[in-house]
Amino acid sequence: MLEDAQRETIPPVARRRPDALLLRALALAFMVFIVLYIAIPIMITLTMSFNDASMIRFPILHWSLKWYRDFLGSPQWVDALGNSLIIAIGTMTISTVAGVLAAWVFERYKFPGRSALYLAIMMPLFMPGVVLGLGVAIAFGGLNIGGFAVYGSRGLVMLAHSLWAMPLVFMLMEATFRIIDHRIVEASYDLGGRPLRTFFEIVLPSVSTGIISSALFAFVISLNEFVMALFLTDRDTQTLPVLMWLSLRSAGTPRLAVAAVILASAVFASLVLILLWYIRQLRKTSR
Amino acid sequence: MAEAHTAPDAPALELDRIRRSFGNVLAVDDVSIDVAKGEFVTLLGPSGSGKTSTLRLIGGFEELESGAIKINGARIDHLPAYQRDTATIFQSGALFPHKTVAENIAYGLRMRGIPKAEMPARIKRSLEMVRLGGYEERYPSQLSGGQKQRVALARSMVVQPTILLFDEPLSALDLSLRLQLRSEIRRLHDEIGFSAIYVTHDQGEAMAMSSRVAVMNKGRIEQIDRPDRIFHAPANEFVHTFIGESCCLPIRLADGKAADLAGAPLALRLREDQADGDWRLYLRPARLKLGAQAVQTENRLAARIHFIEFLGDFHRYHLKAGALEFFADQPGDLGHSIGTEIDVGWQSADMRLYR
Repeated sequence: MLEDAQRETIPPVARRRPDALLLRALALAFMVFIVLYIAIPIMITLTMSFNDASMIRFPILHWSLKWYRDFLGSPQWVDALGNSLIIAIGTMTISTVAGVLAAWVFERYKFPGRSALYLAIMMPLFMPGVVLGLGVAIAFGGLNIGGFAVYGSRGLVMLAHSLWAMPLVFMLMEATFRIIDHRIVEASYDLGGRPLRTFFEIVLPSVSTGIISSALFAFVISLNEFVMALFLTDRDTQTLPVLMWLSLRSAGTPRLAVAAVILASAVFASLVLILLWYIRQLRKTSR
Repeated sequence: MAEAHTAPDAPALELDRIRRSFGNVLAVDDVSIDVAKGEFVTLLGPSGSGKTSTLRLIGGFEELESGAIKINGARIDHLPAYQRDTATIFQSGALFPHKTVAENIAYGLRMRGIPKAEMPARIKRSLEMVRLGGYEERYPSQLSGGQKQRVALARSMVVQPTILLFDEPLSALDLSLRLQLRSEIRRLHDEIGFSAIYVTHDQGEAMAMSSRVAVMNKGRIEQIDRPDRIFHAPANEFVHTFIGESCCLPIRLADGKAADLAGAPLALRLREDQADGDWRLYLRPARLKLGAQAVQTENRLAARIHFIEFLGDFHRYHLKAGALEFFADQPGDLGHSIGTEIDVGWQSADMRLYR
């Protein structure tokens, strides 16, 4: 009885050790630092894009949407944005289809040379963009197919970007396929579903979250990619990052900040889409 | 899925000396079973006995090495799973997680080209059969384990296959649910009269539901018979030890005298003389009589009470005779104390001798 009474009189605060508090404070400080570090450049760029002046420079004297109007009024910049989006959509399509199918084959079938092929698929992901860009540029440099110059075309950039995006899709989808219950595939066969039907109606929908996320990752990778695009595009096909780099060398106007904000918004929108789809699926299948 | 050459009076399913090995292990070794129309045959055996492999061979998920599988008299072992007139109820249910209950059930109907107009009525009827009327729009994640298995059952039954294949469908459920569902499967079988092969390692399930039980061990069928025959007339030592509880007493008979294997004499009197030699004497603990009750039995053995366990429904008397240890289950406390010498008796029908 006496012991119980004594224990109760000790205030809860005293049980918190000072070193534990210090650790918590440090963790919090570090987290704040990281968040700020991530946020500050984006915030500054965003702020700068509303600057009325003709140079990227503080202090901002007048706020305006002038440079947004300027960006949208310039065929060169709008074309570059268009190129970026077309190439990103193309990359997304190529690498998602190829990556999903390759992952399914790896998950479903055992065949000789499996590990070697796995390595070959994953290799480009670890290659510097300069190496890949240069390699593709040399390989397809003067190639003409029926009067169509392959080099400088958007299609070639899509293929080059897929060198990075496809292994990523493959890697994500391989992990996703591994956790699906193979009994549902068997159940589909069992009920009379042919393999192709089963793949499209049972397998793909049950990994839709994985497919949507990896497709949008592929989209983002292509949108952000700069080095390969620099090597492989010409004046008509250059992407937004390439044009930004070129114009940074001539004049650092807030138009650059606008381009940056637009690029970042596209990436942000992709992430929101992934999240929305994930929540939708979660609502459907969670217990 | 109708086959071209089906015979009207052929069994629903015939397995003719089927065989399948994985690596060096012969998983299914020369198994032959006929399942008559409306018959419920259980494959019962310990894990690794080949019962699930047999089922997967029938369903078309594994390839046959030799032998033949016929449904309604027509060979189907060359057909892929999606062309076989079978439907499996998987252990996990294997419901399609992104489809509602109704869509899950409709899937097999759609694959068989059933007209869309017929579907709602058939789905409704099949859900009512498994007592889940009104659950059409739920997703599998919103169902309990037992409900999932009911939907799996409805999904398989709605396509009206020639034979239903059950792959331990109740083993993931807890005991009370298992008992409830097993009597419902029994009820459905009695009402509809489907033909089925049911795989389980639970002998209670096998006994309660089956027309016939096939006891499997190491890829072979040890015995296939009615449940009561399996229990009362086991074909061999494996079946006897696998079905029901039994105690094994290794004894040595010589010149009409009994001893344990160490040579210590046993006060054992058997009604019928047995040949000399080493025997394994099997007794059913629930059938043993103790003390005064042993007087009227045909066989007798003097033993000493080692200790007593209270197990709820009965008392378990652990007994010792020489080096032999065994036990007898009695419905109540007989009032004997530990260390007491006591007569143990049993009828000849409750005893088996193997050597």
